Amino acid sequence: MTSRAEAGRFPRQLGVVAIAALFVAPGLLVVWRAATFGGSAADTLAELREPALRSLQLALLVSLSAAILGTTLAWLTTCTDLPGRRVWRVLLVLPIALPSFVGTTAILAGFTPGGFLASIWEALGAEPPRRIRGLFPAWLLLTLFSYPFVLLPVSARLRALRASLDESAQLLGASAIERFVRITFPQIRAAIVGGTLIVALYMLSEFGAVQLLGFDTLTRVIYATRQVDRATSFMAAAMLFAASLAVVAAVRAGYGRVATDVRAGTGPARLVRLGWAAPFALLVCVGVVAVGIGAPLSSLITWAARGIREGRVSLGDLLTPIQNTAQVAVLTAIVTLLVVLPVAISAIRHRDVAGRAASVAIVAGFALPAIVIALSIAVLALNTPTLNRLYQTMPLLIVAYVVHFGSQALGSVEQGVRAVSPAVLDSSRLIEPSWWRRLLRIELPLMRNGLVAGGGLVVLAVVKELPATLLLAPIGFRTLSTDVWASFEEGFLANAAVGSLALLAVSGTLSWLLVFRDGVTRDL
Amino acid sequence: MNRRLTLSSALLISLVALGSSCGEDEADLTIYSGRTDDLIGPILDDFSKETGIKVEVKYGQSADLALLLDEEAEAGRDNVDVFISQSPGAMGYLEDRGRLATLPSNVLELVPTEVRDDEERWVGLTGRQRVLVYNSDLLDAESLPSSVFDLTDPEWKGRIGVAPGNGSFQDFVTAMRITEGDDATIAFLEGLAANDPVTYENNNAIVEAVARGEVEVGLVNHYYNYRRLVEVPDSPTANHVFDEGDPGALLIITGIAILEGADGNEDALKLVEWLLGVEAQKYFADETFEYPLAIGSTPSSGIPSITFADVGGIDFSDLGAGLQRTREMITEAGLAG
Repeated sequence: MTSRAEAGRFPRQLGVVAIAALFVAPGLLVVWRAATFGGSAADTLAELREPALRSLQLALLVSLSAAILGTTLAWLTTCTDLPGRRVWRVLLVLPIALPSFVGTTAILAGFTPGGFLASIWEALGAEPPRRIRGLFPAWLLLTLFSYPFVLLPVSARLRALRASLDESAQLLGASAIERFVRITFPQIRAAIVGGTLIVALYMLSEFGAVQLLGFDTLTRVIYATRQVDRATSFMAAAMLFAASLAVVAAVRAGYGRVATDVRAGTGPARLVRLGWAAPFALLVCVGVVAVGIGAPLSSLITWAARGIREGRVSLGDLLTPIQNTAQVAVLTAIVTLLVVLPVAISAIRHRDVAGRAASVAIVAGFALPAIVIALSIAVLALNTPTLNRLYQTMPLLIVAYVVHFGSQALGSVEQGVRAVSPAVLDSSRLIEPSWWRRLLRIELPLMRNGLVAGGGLVVLAVVKELPATLLLAPIGFRTLSTDVWASFEEGFLANAAVGSLALLAVSGTLSWLLVFRDGVTRDL
Repeated sequence: MNRRLTLSSALLISLVALGSSCGEDEADLTIYSGRTDDLIGPILDDFSKETGIKVEVKYGQSADLALLLDEEAEAGRDNVDVFISQSPGAMGYLEDRGRLATLPSNVLELVPTEVRDDEERWVGLTGRQRVLVYNSDLLDAESLPSSVFDLTDPEWKGRIGVAPGNGSFQDFVTAMRITEGDDATIAFLEGLAANDPVTYENNNAIVEAVARGEVEVGLVNHYYNYRRLVEVPDSPTANHVFDEGDPGALLIITGIAILEGADGNEDALKLVEWLLGVEAQKYFADETFEYPLAIGSTPSSGIPSITFADVGGIDFSDLGAGLQRTREMITEAGLAG
C-alpha cells in the first residue's frame, strides 16, 4: 500500500506544481515588468503609499463586516426556523450576481432627482443625500456586495455538520448562543476564514465600486496609469501581488493547523427556534436584500421600463449574449473544479508542500485586478510558440477565468475534500480496488456539497466578469457583461438596464439549477 | 442521482456542441474599436450590407485595446486591420510605438487639416466638444463663466466636478499646454486644485453627480448630457459652452487608423472612406449627437453649430505624445486624488 502511494507521489506533485505555475505566471510577469520598466522606484513607491494604505483599510473593514454578516445570515437561513428561509437562501446570494459597477451606478443614479431612491427619501420628508463618496459608502456597498462569499461556504459547512454533538449539548441544557459559540463555531471557523480571505482579496482588486465612489485605491492607480505611465502601473500591481501572497500564506499557515471534525453529517440538526428574535432576524434579511439588490433593481427597472416604452430597446439582441454567457460560465466552472480538485486533495489529504504552495498561488491570484491578469495572459500566450494559436479563443479565455477565479472554488472544494474522512477512504480501499471507481462512487458523492458550492461561485463570478472577457474573448464574442459595460460607458441606460436584468436572470437561474435547488446539496 | 447525472451530462454535451458550432464565417476585416457597440455597431452593419465586406469587431476601452495591439505587434501578430479610438491619447500611444500605417492623401483630405494627424497616420471621425455641464435647478445660465480659467476663482470652491484620470480631461489639459503654454496650464491646474474640486472617474459620473447636486458644475464632453436627457428626460442638467477660442471649448476627436500590418489593405481603406461619407457622418450627427468631421457634413439640429476655428488651430497629433507629462502635471497639481 505504502509503496504504491509513494510511486504515485512524484507525478502527482509534478502535476500540482504545473497548476501552481499557471496561477503564479501573471503575477511573476507583472513583477518582472515592474523591475525592468525603469522609472524611479523610490518616487513611485512614495506616490503609491497612500493608495496602498487605502486598499488595506478597505480590505480590512469590508472583510470584517462581511465575515460577521455572512456568518450570521448563513446561520439564520440554515440552522433556525426563520420564516421563508428557503426563499432567503436564494435572495441573499443575489447581491454578488451583479457586477459591482452596475450595482453602484444604479444606486448612485437612484439618488438623482426623479430617481426611485431619491423619491423614497423625499416621501419620508428628508433631503436625499447629495454626496455619496469615500470610505463609508464604499465600505457599506462593498460589504453588501461581498458577504455572500462568506455566506455560501459557511452555509454549506453548516448543512454538513453532525447533529449529535449539538443535540447532546442541548440535552445538557446549553442555550442556542452557547451551542453556537462552543460547538458550531469551531467547526465552521475554517469556512469563515476561507470566505473572509476571498472577500479581503476581492477588495484589493476591486475597481468598479471604488472608482465610482471616488475612493482612491491601488487598483484605481493601476487603471489610471496603465497606458500613460506603465512603470507605475506595473509597480502598483506588483505591490498588490506581493501583499496578497504574504497575507494568503500567513492566513493559511495559521488556520491550516486548526483541527475540525469535518465528517459529513448524518442528518440535519433540529432547528433553533428564534421566537421573539424572529422579527429582528427578518428585518436584517429584508434590509440586506433591500439595499444589496433592491436598490440597484429600482433604478434598473426604471430605465428598462422607460426604454421599452419608448421603443429604444430590442430584446431579441439579448439571445446570443445570454447563450454565450451561460455556456462559458458553466464550462469554466467545470474546468475550474477539475484543476482545483487535485490541488485540494494534494494539500489536504497528502499534506504535500507542493499542494500547499499551489493553494497559496491559487488564492493569492485573486488580488490581482482582472485587467492585469488578462493582459498578462495575453502577453504570455502571444509570446509562447504553440500556445499563441490559442490567442483569443475560447480555451484561453477559460484559462484566464480559471486563473482569476480558481480561488473562489478552492475554499469550498477543500471543505469537500475534508468531508471524506480517512476512515472512509481506508475502508473504501478494501471494498473497491479501482481508484477511479472509488473516486466516482464514494469520494465525489461525499464531496458534492463542497464541489457544487465552489462551482456555483465560479459561475456567478464568470457571468459578471468584464476586463478579461473584453480582451481575451474570441473576436465578436458578446456576453451580457460586455454588452452592459458598453451601454453604461456611453450612457445608454435603457440598454444597460435590460442587459443587467438579463444578467441577473442568468445568474439566478444557473445558481438555482446548479446549487440551490432542493436536493442538489441536501440529500447526501 | 443517476437521472441527475444523465441530465447534467446531456447539458454538458449540448454546451460543448454549441461551443463548436459557434465558429463564424471568416471576416474580411478585423476591427478593434474603443467606441462601443451602441455607438458604432449599427453603422458598421450598414457598411457590411452595402459593400459586402464582412467585419468582425472587438470592443473595449481605447487604452486597453491600444495596449493589446501593441503587445500583439510586439509578438509579430498582425491580423487586426483597423483601430477606432475614443480619444486621441490611445491613438497617439500606438503612433509613438510605430504601429500605424500611413493613410493615402485622398482619404486624409476628406477632413480639414485641423482634425487629422500631421504624420498622416490617422483621421478624425467625429468630435465631442468640451463643455461645462451645470445643474439648472441650482444655477442660472447667466451666472456661468465665459472661460474655463474662471473656474479657478474662489467662488467655485467645492462646486466643481472633474475627471482627472479620464482620457478626455487629459486631452483637454494637453491642448491647453499647446495653446496657452505649460506655465499657464500649471497655474490653471493649481488654481483648480485649490478650489477642492470633486474628482470622478468619467464623464457619465460627473453628469450624474451634477444631476444629484453633489457638485453644481462639471467639466465634461458635450455628448453625455444629450444622451442623459434621452434616458432621463427630467434631468436638471444642461450644457454651457465657453467662449469661442477658449481652451475649455476644445473639440475632442475620435479617430480611425489602419494598423501597420494592414498597410495597403483595400477593404480597410474603403471602411475609413465610408465612415467619412455622407451616410455615416449623418448617422453620427443624428444618433450619437456628435460633431461630424468630414468636409461638408453638418451637426444635428439640436446641437449648437461649431466651426473648427472655434477650437483654435490645435495640433491634435501632439495630444497623444505629450500625455505622460500631462498626467505628471495633473498629479503634481494635486488633482489625481
